[in-house]
Amino acid sequence: MASQVTVFVENRPGRISKVTRVLADNELNIRAITISDMGEYGLINVVTNDPDRAEEVLRKEGLTVSRKYVIGVMMEDKPGSLADIAEFLHKKEINVANAYGFILKEGARAVLIIEVDDFTHAERVLKKGGFHTLTKEELENL
Amino acid sequence: MKDTYWEGETETMDRRALQALQLHRLNETIASARNSDFYRGKLPVRVERLEEIETLPFTTKQDLRDSFPAGMVAVPKEDLVRLHSSSGTTGRATVVYHTKRDIDVWADLCARSMYMTGMRNTDVFQNMMGYGLFTGGLGLHYGAERLGALTIPASSGNSKRQIRLMCDFHTTAFHITPSYALHLYGVFCEEGVDPKRDLPLRIALLGAEPYSEGTRRKIEKLYGIDAFNSYGLSEMSGPGVAFECTYKEGMHVWEDAFLLEVIDPKTGTPLTDGDEGELVFTTLRREGMPLIRYRTGDIASVNRKGCPCGRTHRRISRIKGRSDDMLIIKGVNIYPMQIEKILMDIPEVGNNYLIEIDTVDYLDTLVVKIEVGQKTFHGTISELEGLKRRITDLLRTEILIHPKVVLVEHGSLPPSEGKAVRVIDRRGEK
Repeated sequence: MASQVTVFVENRPGRISKVTRVLADNELNIRAITISDMGEYGLINVVTNDPDRAEEVLRKEGLTVSRKYVIGVMMEDKPGSLADIAEFLHKKEINVANAYGFILKEGARAVLIIEVDDFTHAERVLKKGGFHTLTKEELENL
Repeated sequence: MKDTYWEGETETMDRRALQALQLHRLNETIASARNSDFYRGKLPVRVERLEEIETLPFTTKQDLRDSFPAGMVAVPKEDLVRLHSSSGTTGRATVVYHTKRDIDVWADLCARSMYMTGMRNTDVFQNMMGYGLFTGGLGLHYGAERLGALTIPASSGNSKRQIRLMCDFHTTAFHITPSYALHLYGVFCEEGVDPKRDLPLRIALLGAEPYSEGTRRKIEKLYGIDAFNSYGLSEMSGPGVAFECTYKEGMHVWEDAFLLEVIDPKTGTPLTDGDEGELVFTTLRREGMPLIRYRTGDIASVNRKGCPCGRTHRRISRIKGRSDDMLIIKGVNIYPMQIEKILMDIPEVGNNYLIEIDTVDYLDTLVVKIEVGQKTFHGTISELEGLKRRITDLLRTEILIHPKVVLVEHGSLPPSEGKAVRVIDRRGEK
């Protein structure tokens, strides 16, 4: 099971650098990062090679952190991969709360991270549909 | 003399005669107050000298709250014709009741005040204060009609309509809060109307919130008018307790209707004229709900020197501050405690909040900052936005003010131990 850490930050200069510096100082590798901007505040979502440790070190810095399970779906880096997954989820009536992707190797593999309400159900459906979802270990060793 | 004063004989009455009148009316007030549940058994039958007022007990805002809803009413219910109430949280409201004569006396005092500023029955008076439970609107409305001015009950807000009314009906005098006067000028500019050039405006009556001499001068310059300072409080019926004359050097307190004392707010000891202290009033002409030695919480000083206008009623300075922590936001009286109580009842908020009052575009804003801690945060936006909405709704319902709720990081507000400052008023800083 893959997971991301979400950090609550005020919308002011220096907050992203603060979060990423803490991760860097602890030798954590960021796979993907997105920011939800809500005006006076924002949420920074990070997928790292070690979510347990990421959560721990960020909390130790006094930051407000939440841990959330997400699904990492492996896909081919070619036109239409993302559309295939999105259509499949639509057909299965799975609502996506947030999604972002990153490329592992250009022209080869990419990962789509999705946040859903019912994590277990969605992952089971995706597996059954022939999609490869990343385990915690796989994410660590990318 | 007929042209200068509304009630010349009373307004220019010799001090000694005025004091005799006060003593007579004080004894009437005592006799009447003794009929109320609150004052029963607390007052002597009569006093022989005016100075004996110092032996009577004070009445406080808390007393008013405690005698909710009608513990201070001194007449049979059928004699009451109106009530005004503070916007306070349910059960904490302070209510003032009026008989028909009380409304009459109040209208006369307001007419007298407006006449003193130079308003006449040829004026078109636009009343931009809120009508309803708030006394600012209805008080001067009745006064203006008594004076004979053509009165436009515009009430507060809706700036474009205010300007429309002023243009359509050639408003010459208006009643407005100073902050709204400054804000409205910006709307005038947007609408392409120059109030100085395009309108016959000549008098503004400013009230309901504290402001500086500089602000008055600014309003006078922008609008090309004379602006007058006024003082009143709902406990003393509302506007019309004290008003400036055309000399604009302090506000004449209508001493035939209110017995004025200034006390040391800490000890309750009466101070002499000129000393700054808390204003204390006793109603001298109110039947429905007489109040004895009501502590206003307003800090000011009294000027006993004669005024070139010829009126003998003493003048008070601008209100310098409060003896308690009461705030006036958008003309509404609010105690920080009222806001704090609401916030503390929300489990996610707890003690981690800060209240900031500021001025944006001349209007008061109330910002409530809430720390987002580990307990409140589960990584979703919907949860955080839901919390913001809940706080906004609760504050709007309870104190009738629309706050801006801002979520901040844990640890960014001053620590909550001990007597941390939770309310920051930045309005005076600019």
